[in-house]
Amino acid sequence: MIEAAVKKKLGSFKLDANVSDERFICLTGKNGSGKTTLLNLIGGILTPDEGHITLNSKNITNLPIERRQVSIITPDSCIPHLDVDRHLVWGAKNKGLNIEDDYITEIKTGLGINFDGKVRKLSLGMRERVALVTSLISRPELILVDETLSNIDNRRDFIDAFKTFTMKANIDVIFTTQSPEDSSEADHHYRLESGKSTRLF
Amino acid sequence: MVRAIELTLLSSAVAAALCVTIFTPLAYYFARNKNSLGEALSDIPASIPHPIIGVAILVIVSPLTPFGRFLLSVGINFFNTFLGLITALTIVSAPIYINSMHPFFQSMNVAHENYALGLGASKFRTFMSVVVPNSGRGILNASLIAMSRAMSEFGSISIVAYYVLQQPFYGVSPAPVLIFQYYTYYGLGAAVTASAVMILVSIAMMVLLRLVKR
Repeated sequence: MIEAAVKKKLGSFKLDANVSDERFICLTGKNGSGKTTLLNLIGGILTPDEGHITLNSKNITNLPIERRQVSIITPDSCIPHLDVDRHLVWGAKNKGLNIEDDYITEIKTGLGINFDGKVRKLSLGMRERVALVTSLISRPELILVDETLSNIDNRRDFIDAFKTFTMKANIDVIFTTQSPEDSSEADHHYRLESGKSTRLF
Repeated sequence: MVRAIELTLLSSAVAAALCVTIFTPLAYYFARNKNSLGEALSDIPASIPHPIIGVAILVIVSPLTPFGRFLLSVGINFFNTFLGLITALTIVSAPIYINSMHPFFQSMNVAHENYALGLGASKFRTFMSVVVPNSGRGILNASLIAMSRAMSEFGSISIVAYYVLQQPFYGVSPAPVLIFQYYTYYGLGAAVTASAVMILVSIAMMVLLRLVKR
């Protein structure tokens, strides 16, 4: 369960957002509405001017990124010099997790990782798949996905499968999208307009 | 002259390697954290007359200071030694190395680092496992620039290591000091010949640098 009631001023832009839900959460809004700013606050890249952020009852407001159990994925997220298989388990190894090969095979099959090679040489959509699956395998408590689904082909199938895997692993997800169809996949939908959040369902 | 050039190339290469080891993390820190005072301090060796650096090194390691007395008690000597030579060269090359790596690190996509941190990696592991492996070209380029700078150094090494009194370079002066000696003892003609050799070596370094940049 993520609870974020935060305020942040960046130049002339003011964010005043409130998100309190769990499972698969969709965040929509026009360009410049504050979606990325909100995710950066939850992820620890930015610090709120006011407010708090709790994740599964733990206050993470002032924790550094690496101690929040929150994984942040943008279209550029990856570790470029690794090959696909090493990349997928990199996060889990950081945390000392013992991930079974069967589980990794199941996830690779379910989420369409049927390629290999250096991550830097993959297409954008392939890199995004690898980044998302790597985060999933590392078992954070929350995954933030910032505009990273738009380049994935068979997107609907991917989102369905990703949602299933995250639910099984008890991982909450907040994803931003420009596509209204993607919001129908979500358990909860928030809309941001000019920095203010509204819970639609 | 050949031995002098060998000494200059070797000591400059070691100084460049020390710059990479010691100052890469510092350049990365400056790129990710605003620290005007730190950056100003790191530029000092480039902005003062280099004989001052030589004098400062000798004062610090002399029996006048507790640190100097400790070093001498354990047999570590900087005056006219290879250790003193590479220390001076590292200090004078550091600003140019840091100022070469700083914009390189700033241009690196911070999304990779944030992603790694979000996967639970510590800042140290993120630096060693994500930043450094993807910085090879930048580090090589900056280290060659630092090595070129070290090769041309005269002021500080003429004070700390006018010649090296250790094998295998016993009695050999670094090339810039040797050229000065030729001019002082034998006149312009001898100095020009030695200078021409050094220029050819420097041109080779610059060509290598351009090839690496491609």
